[in-house]
Amino acid sequence: MATHEEIRDSLRAFQEGYNKNKKLKIMNRDWNRVVLIEANDVESKHTLILKDGELTVCEGATDNPDIIVTADSETLADLFYGDITPTEPYMNGTLIIKGSEDDIVRLDFISLMIWGE
Amino acid sequence: MKRVVSVSLGSSKRDHQVQVELLGEQFIISRLGMDGDIERALAKLEELDGQVDAIGLGGIDVYVYAGKTRYAFKDGLRLMEAVKKTPVVDGSGLKNTLERETVKYLLRETNYLSPATKVLMVSAVDRFGMAEAFIEAGCDVTFGDLIFAAGIPYPIKTLEELEEMAGKLLPEMTKLPFHMLYPTGKKQDSRDEEKANKFAHYYHDADVIAGDFHFIKRYIPDALNGQMIITNTTTSADIEFFKEKGAARLVTTTPVFEGRSFGTNVIEGVLVALMGKPWEEITADEYLELIKKLDFKPQVIELV
Repeated sequence: MATHEEIRDSLRAFQEGYNKNKKLKIMNRDWNRVVLIEANDVESKHTLILKDGELTVCEGATDNPDIIVTADSETLADLFYGDITPTEPYMNGTLIIKGSEDDIVRLDFISLMIWGE
Repeated sequence: MKRVVSVSLGSSKRDHQVQVELLGEQFIISRLGMDGDIERALAKLEELDGQVDAIGLGGIDVYVYAGKTRYAFKDGLRLMEAVKKTPVVDGSGLKNTLERETVKYLLRETNYLSPATKVLMVSAVDRFGMAEAFIEAGCDVTFGDLIFAAGIPYPIKTLEELEEMAGKLLPEMTKLPFHMLYPTGKKQDSRDEEKANKFAHYYHDADVIAGDFHFIKRYIPDALNGQMIITNTTTSADIEFFKEKGAARLVTTTPVFEGRSFGTNVIEGVLVALMGKPWEEITADEYLELIKKLDFKPQVIELV
């Protein structure tokens, strides 16, 4: 089980990976979304805000997110540290993403662009 | 009499059957749409296995390529592995030969392509041979794989970048349900209005729009301005559709039987049935030789 702090640190690593990738910022200039990241085994909520290609991470939940990402704390930390890819936990139901299919593909894409081979 | 059946994840509205003679052999060629229902497709494949001479998998890619690397879609493999006795193909073996040859044919026999030609390939990893042929011809090519499959307004301009992106994305994305990346079933009967408007400029800026028919159709803008379309699996109604949209010319990469240009999976199935050897052992040169023997050529249809 990961702690809230570990999830926060993993999200910061994800944000750092995103911010270092200039191409990714260009690719996401059109995609303004609010993403709620919540653990289902510990009390931990974070909000990712994508706006004009920039990604920010905030502690806590937000009203009316476009996408909700839910998983156990270990999966979330592994995912945002890039130790695992989102596809497999998404397909086996460990990772639940509520949002449009297009947004789910886009989120998968961002993760792979940061951590992919 | 040989029987080749294409089991497609596409709409059943496009079902059809033709009888043709090829190299003195009679063929019945059928296409059966499963309306995006993968379980129904699996049941149909099991039913046909051992009953026909070759099976084509339509409306889905099993294998796509970027450079020398091959990526396999999990859903496609599941369908392919359901067939144990009959040769089963997805068209990817033939695409590399036939569609590369289409570009060469247009360069050799027409003045429709030149280094100044702007080409939009709506997706390239499913037609890497064609992508390479356009680049070799010196065309200004935009690969729309990220734009149309993932909704990301990022035009890829080189084969190197396409290979780099494919290497990062495809090992994982091929594990997603195929319908998340490609229009299957009922999505093939409608246009994605939002993306069609958002990405219209990529169509309008091009002289040539090439690639998968369903991708082209799903994201086509309200009107074209005299583009040449290079694709296949078109029916007479599709020819009218492109004409109404304002395309100047349609080039189909596969032969036309009874007004219908078949998918490469069907034609590959026919070639495999003619050769009578496992598709894994068939080389590009053998396909090319047989295509020449059959006198298969691209069909150019003027629309204005």
